[in-house]
Amino acid sequence: MTLPFTHLDWAAIVPLEVLAATGLLVLLFDLVLRPYAPRALSLGIAAIGTLVTAVAIGQQYGANVAAFNGGYIVGNFSVLFGEVVLLGTLGALALMGRGGAERESAGTIALLLWSACGALLLVAAATTMTIFLGIELLSLSLYCLCGLADRKSAREAALKYLLLSSTASAVLLFGMALLFGASGSVSLAALATPAMVGNPLFWMGSGFFLVGIAFKLSLVPFHAWAPDVYEGAPLPITAFMTVVTKAATIALFARFAYAAIPNGASQMLLLPIWIVAGISMIVGNVGMLAQHDLKRLLGYSGIAQVGYILAALAGTTRLGLRYAFFYLAVYAVMNLGAFAVAAALSSGDAEEGANLENYRGLGSRRPLLAAAMTFFLLALAGLPPTAGFLGKILILAATAGSGFLWLAALLLVGTAISLYAYAKIVMAMYRPDHRVHGTEIGVTPLPWVSLALCLVATIALTFYPILPSGLLPLVK
Amino acid sequence: MLFALVLLPILAGSVLLLMRGEDRRVFRGIGVVVSLATLAIAVAARSDDWSAPWLRAPFVANFHLGIGALAFWLILLLALCTACAILAVDSARPRALVGQLLLLEGAMLGLFVSRDLLLFALFYDLMLVPVFFVLLERGEHPRDAWRYIIYNFAGGLLLLLATAAFGVLHGTTDVIGTVGNVITGAWAPWIFWGFAIAFLVKTPVFPLHTWMPNTYASLPPPVAAVVGAVQSKAGLYGFFVIGLTMMPQEIARYSTALIVLGSISLLYGAVAALVQTDAKRVVAYSSLSHLGLIVIAIATQQPLALAGAALYIIAHGLFTAALFLGLGYVEEREETRSLARLRGIGASNPRLAGALTIAGLAMLGLPGFAGFVGELVIITGIVESGDIVVAIVAIVSVVLASAYVLRLFQGIVNGPVARDLPVRRDLTWREGLAVAPLLFALLYLGVNPHAVLASGAVPIARAPLSSSAGVTTP
Repeated sequence: MTLPFTHLDWAAIVPLEVLAATGLLVLLFDLVLRPYAPRALSLGIAAIGTLVTAVAIGQQYGANVAAFNGGYIVGNFSVLFGEVVLLGTLGALALMGRGGAERESAGTIALLLWSACGALLLVAAATTMTIFLGIELLSLSLYCLCGLADRKSAREAALKYLLLSSTASAVLLFGMALLFGASGSVSLAALATPAMVGNPLFWMGSGFFLVGIAFKLSLVPFHAWAPDVYEGAPLPITAFMTVVTKAATIALFARFAYAAIPNGASQMLLLPIWIVAGISMIVGNVGMLAQHDLKRLLGYSGIAQVGYILAALAGTTRLGLRYAFFYLAVYAVMNLGAFAVAAALSSGDAEEGANLENYRGLGSRRPLLAAAMTFFLLALAGLPPTAGFLGKILILAATAGSGFLWLAALLLVGTAISLYAYAKIVMAMYRPDHRVHGTEIGVTPLPWVSLALCLVATIALTFYPILPSGLLPLVK
Repeated sequence: MLFALVLLPILAGSVLLLMRGEDRRVFRGIGVVVSLATLAIAVAARSDDWSAPWLRAPFVANFHLGIGALAFWLILLLALCTACAILAVDSARPRALVGQLLLLEGAMLGLFVSRDLLLFALFYDLMLVPVFFVLLERGEHPRDAWRYIIYNFAGGLLLLLATAAFGVLHGTTDVIGTVGNVITGAWAPWIFWGFAIAFLVKTPVFPLHTWMPNTYASLPPPVAAVVGAVQSKAGLYGFFVIGLTMMPQEIARYSTALIVLGSISLLYGAVAALVQTDAKRVVAYSSLSHLGLIVIAIATQQPLALAGAALYIIAHGLFTAALFLGLGYVEEREETRSLARLRGIGASNPRLAGALTIAGLAMLGLPGFAGFVGELVIITGIVESGDIVVAIVAIVSVVLASAYVLRLFQGIVNGPVARDLPVRRDLTWREGLAVAPLLFALLYLGVNPHAVLASGAVPIARAPLSSSAGVTTP
């Protein structure tokens, strides 16, 4: 018996292998060296492994390989989205570097890395089988990670995420089954044929598939789980979910929308997604107004931000995809920055940085942290000189340029609402605060480093926007 | 050089915000030196042009900096006002205030030297941030900060949308200060109104003005001086360099709407100024009235009116800054701004009363000051364009201006010394020095208006009034 795969197939997934092996290595070292080296060692190994993975993926830039019979397609698309995934992973790892929280030990880090593996698989997946594999690998680890913190809301979050995400997976799987019935193949490439336009199975299958994606992206009618889960999960895991899960799912959606839909079906099939994206911008931003928890607030913000990114994809133009990618990268940086501030204010499981009450009067107590938080919040709102501003204007240009004026208008309305929500926190930080404050939190180096890097990146991206040109998802 | 012009105040402001200590002399000194340095750089770099690529898709955008004719005068006005405002800072926490003023100066300098619409939009939004923070920290009520940011940010978003649409249609946004970029077609009205509403909010013009009186009244006097004098000109500057050069047909098509809005602002502002009891609000509403006149001048597109508008933009900046600073001194001394309580400054603080009176007379359009020439040239232009009704409205508002200015001074300066208010020492040298340059500039431009009128700030078809216009008696 001969293996159906050659060394070329295995070479294509080297980055995944490195990342998965890093997870094992972290566990192994922890087993052997636990008394001598605490979490710092695990974090160090994980960070190095992630960086090596990033380099390995970077090496694939410009390549065009369809490995595993077209199940895993390496191209600029998978490379660039993969780098965002790794950026989010590094950001989440940095947040684990704060004091306390012994529970976030080697096992946690390994799970996080394997979850990132799933995300990497997802951004390159081009058959329904690899897609499902990626989604489940990404989600299964997160089910455990969500419930890590020792509080009621964490257990609730884990259960909620497990139930709702499995439901979404089931819907997705059902859609995939119908698509298989329509084309007789697991390959997405088989869907982009004119024969599919008249096939009811294709329409039903695509519908279920897109509903599953909307669920995972927490778009509006399916968004209710996101804030609850984000509130309950530990801070680094929330940061991971807001960036990595979103990046991978958007990549999946982009591949489906750009490459797997036959000409003539695209307009009608995707219209509900654009409508849902438009509603998400409004609902997400309005939802932010009443929040008292930073993680919940950023959860609602994420719902709206995904709406913005999808708005760039409306019309499925090449330019739109470039801007969507740019905004995704910017969102990752701004969001990780805001989480880094929260982590720098937290001293362990209590997560003081997640409670918006603790931001009152921060401007006088911790001027640097308050300034950084202000910067990230204004960036999320889209004020200059941050990259959020440039990202928004590019999305506006793409959306309006492909004729979705109503979507551009909703984006503007959403942005105006969001400014109020973000600025409310800013105001709380800078109004004089007369309460007596309890313990001061010591300086935690890793979140600070992450914070500084995000700050620099958010400004730099404004003036040197990354707008890669060869960014088109392929299915074969 | 131009790069340094924008970066210097922004860097200096950021450093000040991160420093410690609250020594008034030191921070005032740093602030004045930095803003005077920007003045010097602006003069030295007047003909510079600097460009670096930014975006290539979906439209070409560059970091293109250069100084246009009107921009040059606005930059001088801005640097002078900032220097004077910083010199007048007398807060117990001066460091952050000076820092924010420098950031504000940097953002507005960026706006005036932008030669690219996208860059223009970036600075247009950026200049809201320092003012918002000053309002949050030092304003009388957080409500004022909200109103300011929401109105202006909404305007900024429209500007952004219009810029994006312009870029997509035209292929490039690197168009400020170059000719041949006139936009026509089905999209032109939408783009025009996107820009126009943003500019009308910023100016402001009735009915988009409701953020303005609260903002000006709530801001500390030095910041109010810079915002009232220069930030309010950002919209008018936009009309000059974007509206008039790229969408003249649209302005002509909607000139009636603009003239009606401008006329309502002109009259409503004057009448409202006449009944305010808060001294700062009198100046705020007078600003609504005066800037309405400039909007009318722009809407007529009459060369003479435009030349007058350019001069009046500068003049209005100078006397508004002087008045806000002067009223700030009054408030510091008497601890109230209420016209019902203030009395007799002339007897207790003659130097302060003198400065206020000169600024006030400049505002009501006394010949000899730049404001008079500006108004005269604008109204002449309006008459030449054939809009007699509008000219009459403008003249009525000039009469009303005399009424509210005199009411303001009748209240504050004249009369016996108020018994129930504290009597403090008169203007110090520093305080006087902060107002004097503004008043001298008003006088200089009053007797030599040609400096601005003939500087090519607007395409002038005919030679405007001769340089002796300023000293003609009515």
